[in-house]
Amino acid sequence: MFGKGLMTGMGITIRHFFGRKATFCYPEEKLTMTEHFRGGHLTIDYKKCIACQLCAIQCPNQAIKLKVVTDANRKRHLESYVHSMGRCLYCDLCIEGCAPHALSWDKNYEISTWHKEDLVHQVITDEDRAYLADVMARAAANPTPPPAPKAPPKPAAKPATPSPETEVKPGE
Amino acid sequence: MPQTETYILNMGPQHPSTHGVLRVNLELDGERILRATPMMGYLHRGIEKLLEARTYVQGVPYTDRLDYVSSMNNNFGYCRAVEELAGIEVPERAEYIRVIMAELNRIASHQVFIGSLANDLGASTGMLYTFRDREEILDLFDLVCGARMTFHYIRVGGVARDLPPEFAEKCRKFLDRVPEFTAEYANLLMGNEIFQRRLKGVSRLTPEQALAHNMTGPNIRATGIPFDIRKVDGYSVYPRFGFEVPVGENGDNWDRFQVRFREITESARIVRQALDGLPEGPVMAKFPKMLKPPQGEVFSRTEGTRGELGFYIVSDGTAKPYRVHIRRPSFINMQALDDMCRGYLIGDSVVAFSAIDPLMGEVDC
Amino acid sequence: MNAMLENGVVATVAGVLREYLMLLFGNQFLTDLIMKFIGIGAVIGVILSAAIVFTYAERKVCAFIQVRLGPNRVGGRFGLLQPFADMLKLMSKEDIIPAGCDRVVWALSPMLLFVPSALAYAFFPFDKGAVFADVNVGVFLLIAISSQAVLPFLMGGYASNSKYAMIGGMRTVAQMLSYEAPMVFSLLGIVMLTGSLKMSDIVAVQADNVWFVLLQPVAFVIFVITATAETNRTPFDLVEGESEIVAGAFAEYSGMRWALFFLAEYANLLAVSILTTTFFLGGWSGPVLPGVVWFWLKALFMVFFFMWLRWTLPRTRIDQMLSLSWKVLLPLALANVMCTGIGVYIYRWL
Repeated sequence: MFGKGLMTGMGITIRHFFGRKATFCYPEEKLTMTEHFRGGHLTIDYKKCIACQLCAIQCPNQAIKLKVVTDANRKRHLESYVHSMGRCLYCDLCIEGCAPHALSWDKNYEISTWHKEDLVHQVITDEDRAYLADVMARAAANPTPPPAPKAPPKPAAKPATPSPETEVKPGE
Repeated sequence: MPQTETYILNMGPQHPSTHGVLRVNLELDGERILRATPMMGYLHRGIEKLLEARTYVQGVPYTDRLDYVSSMNNNFGYCRAVEELAGIEVPERAEYIRVIMAELNRIASHQVFIGSLANDLGASTGMLYTFRDREEILDLFDLVCGARMTFHYIRVGGVARDLPPEFAEKCRKFLDRVPEFTAEYANLLMGNEIFQRRLKGVSRLTPEQALAHNMTGPNIRATGIPFDIRKVDGYSVYPRFGFEVPVGENGDNWDRFQVRFREITESARIVRQALDGLPEGPVMAKFPKMLKPPQGEVFSRTEGTRGELGFYIVSDGTAKPYRVHIRRPSFINMQALDDMCRGYLIGDSVVAFSAIDPLMGEVDC
Repeated sequence: MNAMLENGVVATVAGVLREYLMLLFGNQFLTDLIMKFIGIGAVIGVILSAAIVFTYAERKVCAFIQVRLGPNRVGGRFGLLQPFADMLKLMSKEDIIPAGCDRVVWALSPMLLFVPSALAYAFFPFDKGAVFADVNVGVFLLIAISSQAVLPFLMGGYASNSKYAMIGGMRTVAQMLSYEAPMVFSLLGIVMLTGSLKMSDIVAVQADNVWFVLLQPVAFVIFVITATAETNRTPFDLVEGESEIVAGAFAEYSGMRWALFFLAEYANLLAVSILTTTFFLGGWSGPVLPGVVWFWLKALFMVFFFMWLRWTLPRTRIDQMLSLSWKVLLPLALANVMCTGIGVYIYRWL
């Protein structure tokens, strides 16, 4: 009979009218993000980081820009670490490429900004900078002698470690 | 002396039912369509070129952005092409997981299709219901890969990480709900007389026409040709699962809807079988970090949600592909829009467009 | 108290008010004039408050059907102040005048659309004795006035200098004209049963006997279908046809001009609900509760019913809609008139 389908449809909608709702009031109630949630700001465990720059190399869109300094002990440290969220694909390749597991997402999904410039996020905190200054000072005060070159020296070995204060162009 | 003439209506690029940014030039005689010319390119991002500038592994997240409603299928297609090129053997468990993800994504994508078709017909409630159920699939994806839209889960050589322990149970719970929500769509939309009258016998294509337009996917199956690459090529582990390929009879919009509607159930069947037969083992093949496939070219095709999704990759032996071309099913299916609209009314053009189920991200690439 | 029940609450209150005004002014003419203005104010107040309530109700009903929560920000947990926020938004919007439009016609259209929908309220019996103008050709006038709503749509569609608006305008003409005919014929049966075109008589007959929905079920169905078409709501919202022709005749309007269309739409919605109540559901008649309460209960139920329809059904196509009207509804309505006529004849003969 014509109209039967219309009636069943009406029945469904009226049931949902009185039924449970699927949405909730967002800013008051928030979802917890899953374990592997990709999103938000990059955070770095500064003490774990070995400044290998793999994250920047892995990044498909060059969203990570970092500067590396070498202390008196020839140990590399991060001087600055900039995450351009506007360029980021949130593909997780940087985090998966991080050997010491120093990099992670902070899972904060409320990252919209008013201005494009605010999308550039400084990952290294002041605390980290203080730590860096401390480490640098200690290394300068107590330098260990560079290890003696092995004999015979390899001809054309790996390129020298990045000299201090050079900006690494990632993705190349 | 009164005179009548045809006029051109520019539908889009800003229009509620162009699923993104498409412009259709409709030549109209009153309400009747004489010619429909799709004009595309508003969402062009040059993904083929972007892929050529990245390494093989770095390219995968870009394929997410092609057909953003079924990203898993795009990842799958691209990764298969690269693996074929580089000769990587994918572990069995990874293949099973890939199939589960691809089929779940197919369900999600067809739900979007049903929803947007309902919305284009003016029944926006139908859309909300399908999107509500799609959320459950997205939650599953969120669980395994941490994203709800651009998954980047299927990687070259396998999948990003193993399934979390609670996945199987949650997935089964979802599969149990499939009959429930398909019944709801059937009652709300399919049984509705207005809905039927809007779709039946409208925008008919003969099998010959569909073949001439090189249509693939549910669009060609609606005309009665059982062309499904999962069956034809039997790639990945698909031959191990029992599933049917739903076909239509008349090639009208109603059949296009029916085919996709029945595919939801078939996909759920595949997922259930894959979950039951999921083997243990690694989920990632071993291959060098800096992947340099040997010189050569490959064309690999998979059954995407919207049809035959092909990746043509030329390697010159370096870490980056020399050339990538993507055979996007939406783009090729769009050719038939003119044939599907001619002689019908403005209201039908929206439905015809919706029934092809193109995604502008894929059309413009 | 007894007098109140006898004459209806609204009429009693009006009577008391009139007596006080007589005492105050001591002038029959002045009192009548003031009473008329109070009546006009009350009717306009009903329309405006209906628009406010219905914008909220529609959003809430739509949300509940679509398993959402709906407005819940402005004005507490239930978003009770949402219509005012909407109004504020509409008022603060830029008034965009499309290039190449026919200014005068374009500006007149939203105002003219509001006039017939507001005018129709003059004939509604809200309660026993509470009709602003209880003319003896009420039904006829009502139909004549409400069919004037076609013209503003066409004006807006024509003057906007937009193809979408033009298509919308043309669709309106086709739709409204073809649905006017079955609507009139469906009402004819009732007029035959009552033997009067007076609105208050129609309600009074139902209050004494049975509701006409029982005597004229076919006419009721036809009337509800045509009423949805008259108000341009789904499944007959081809005039707006959001997914096809964007917003039809309103496509180029913004801000307060668009709000006037909106206001007219809700005024129309309430109008057809009241009409259904008056013609088929017995108007203000009902046990125990005062008439005005019954009246609003029935009218609001019909409003809810129309909203429910809107958020469930898909849209028809223009040719299907026209063929439904001319090929199904009109013959059905004519047959209904004939059957009613025979029925009335047999009843008298008995």
